Amino acid sequence: MISVSDFSYRFNGNEDYTLRNINIKIDNGDFLVITGPSGCGKSSFALAISGYLFNQFEGEFEGQINIDDMNISKANIYDIADKVGLVQQNPEAQFCTLTVIDEIAFGLENRCIPPDEIKRRVDWSLEIVGASHLIDREIASLSGGEKQKIAIAAMMASKPEVIIFDEPTSNLDPTATREIFEVISELRRKSNTTVIVIEHKTTFLASFQPRVVYMEKGSILQSYADTTIEPLQRDYIQQNRTSYYHYKSQDPIIKINNLHAGYDGKKVLHDINLNFFGGDFVSIMGDNGSGKSTLIRNIMGFVEPIQGIIEINNKPIKDSPFHERALTIGLVFQNPEHQLFANSVWDEAVFAPKNFDIFNDKVTEMTEDLLQKAGLKKYKNRHPYRLSYGEKRRLNLISVLTYTPNCLLLDEVLIGQDNKNASFLIELLLSTVKDGGVVLMVNHNPDISYQFANRLLFFEKGKVTIDAPIQEAFELLERNGNSNYLPTYYRPTQSIIQ
Amino acid sequence: MKHRIIYQDGHSILHSLHPLVKLSWLIFCTVFVFVAPYLWMVLIFLLVIVFLIPIANLPITNIRGLRLVITTALLLAIIQIIFTDQGEVLFTFWKIDITKLGIENGVYIAARLISVVLASYLFVLTTRPNDLAYALIQTGIPYRYGFALVTAIRLVPVFEQEAIIVYEAQLARGVQYNRKNLNKIILLAKQFLLPMLVSALSKVDALAVSMEGRCFGKYPKRTFLREVRYKKVDLVGLGILIIFVLMTMATLLEGNS
Repeated sequence: MISVSDFSYRFNGNEDYTLRNINIKIDNGDFLVITGPSGCGKSSFALAISGYLFNQFEGEFEGQINIDDMNISKANIYDIADKVGLVQQNPEAQFCTLTVIDEIAFGLENRCIPPDEIKRRVDWSLEIVGASHLIDREIASLSGGEKQKIAIAAMMASKPEVIIFDEPTSNLDPTATREIFEVISELRRKSNTTVIVIEHKTTFLASFQPRVVYMEKGSILQSYADTTIEPLQRDYIQQNRTSYYHYKSQDPIIKINNLHAGYDGKKVLHDINLNFFGGDFVSIMGDNGSGKSTLIRNIMGFVEPIQGIIEINNKPIKDSPFHERALTIGLVFQNPEHQLFANSVWDEAVFAPKNFDIFNDKVTEMTEDLLQKAGLKKYKNRHPYRLSYGEKRRLNLISVLTYTPNCLLLDEVLIGQDNKNASFLIELLLSTVKDGGVVLMVNHNPDISYQFANRLLFFEKGKVTIDAPIQEAFELLERNGNSNYLPTYYRPTQSIIQ
Repeated sequence: MKHRIIYQDGHSILHSLHPLVKLSWLIFCTVFVFVAPYLWMVLIFLLVIVFLIPIANLPITNIRGLRLVITTALLLAIIQIIFTDQGEVLFTFWKIDITKLGIENGVYIAARLISVVLASYLFVLTTRPNDLAYALIQTGIPYRYGFALVTAIRLVPVFEQEAIIVYEAQLARGVQYNRKNLNKIILLAKQFLLPMLVSALSKVDALAVSMEGRCFGKYPKRTFLREVRYKKVDLVGLGILIIFVLMTMATLLEGNS
């Protein structure tokens, strides 16, 4: 049993406490979901229970965390590891070896367990996650979902009493997300492990009937039994949508003709023909590897297509210099930290206008305004890396809006964002659409797509299989059996009050 | 599209040799081509290496960098041939004496370079880096160092990919890389390295959590599920290697006495 009493924690260098006065008891065999907005302290709480907060990080704490009769803050990390396993957000970052079999054996080998026993446990844990067929593969060759399954198996192999998942699906597409949650439920069925899941996507988990805890600003607000997110009403959405979209340009801003493209001699996209008009807010969905990012990179001109023509603002991209074209396109990638280059929030916001030589009073005024809206004005002189994850995300978007491009390309920018922050980002995007621009947004969040986009592209194996207005597109998705891609609204409400 | 110089899956005899046997052979090759007293020895050696390529079933002609190596080797050979004026003059071409010694030296240099590069290619392309690291650990080097090697191998492609993302994100925001001003170049380097460094550090954090959470470093020794074992073919390979080493030493001693 885990018992946390009056626990607070403050990282060295931070003014505020990240965790405040937490009290909770988790029984053996429990299934607990911890949810809350980004930056609420849920990941730090996971690090606390698994002991890393006291071993890997510097900070001060009050209160106590016990697992059975072991005091976590005083125990040896190796002793805690025998009881608690932590599966982290990014599977890529937690692999210690290069092959599946070595990875799962890794923890057991370190514990000096004899090879025969290791072999048995490797087979057992692979079977639990349904990945026995992957045993001889190299990790680099696996898909994101497969990688996360291997990370889970690697933790299960040491048979911990408690296994903690820290947003295990944040890098995965809806299909793989569903698979991972099914693995988690399977794991509960086949072993009596206590499971703690930290997750935004609570709707997926609702059918497994967990106990849910909600965190905000470092505290546990309440335990509540109903995880169903209030589904958005169809009428409400449609009313709101018409107020966003009353404009459509005559000529397409982006024109794609007979595009075939790929990398390293591998063809990813097949015969893509698309026109995007001013006023289009396009949500691009589909499994990872289906060609969404390749499309974005081709439009930007980072890779040369194998065949076909792409025109932006009536100019074939082959014929226009990159610098000139980049001025009309704003591109934001998934990881905020890959795209912060300047020394202060202000410099970051005006970084691109200065590079493009268009910095003037008007840009200054607009930048002030954008920072104000995003709640970043007070951090004007702060180093961008000192912002929170959500704030960095907002800054990323602002720093492309300051040169007013009329095409916005966004590659998975909503990952790891709670609904509130995501909605805020999208409100910013909508201003571009209202001004007659086009937004292409690769994302995995059907709720957000349904609420804001007016057109949906669905990719399957390098082809566009659905291209329709949003309402019609979701109906088609439902008809085609892609139930993982439907917004909450489409599912039967999963109230789990028993 | 050219392949990168990384392990290529296969089932040839070269693939199945023990990594350390292959490593010993590679070291021997490198030393041999430089100490071999006769040109014909180096040439035969080169021939054997070239002969091994189809045996290993490798797309070696398609590997990045090979053309550059061969061009460099030929260039070095030509320079030797042109600038060596000692020895028996074979013929004179536009006031340049082409001597027997010059040709010999040129061929020597080209053959050495190509041999070493091809042998290294064969080694890298047929050996899983993972197996090499595990073999080294099982031979006795402390496992912490062995896993440092594994981590490095694992992170190289990850960083490579991130570098592309950072670079593209910069291009998209109007950064121009064709600057000639030194200050600009330093600024560009800083703007590029900072995101890479931050991302590297966050990876180190996650990896440390992952390793400690699986008891890495709990005991001075560890067990291994998969032992990289010596097979019959490895003993044969090792045997031939020893004979070669002895023969080379004998030839060298004979030449010196």
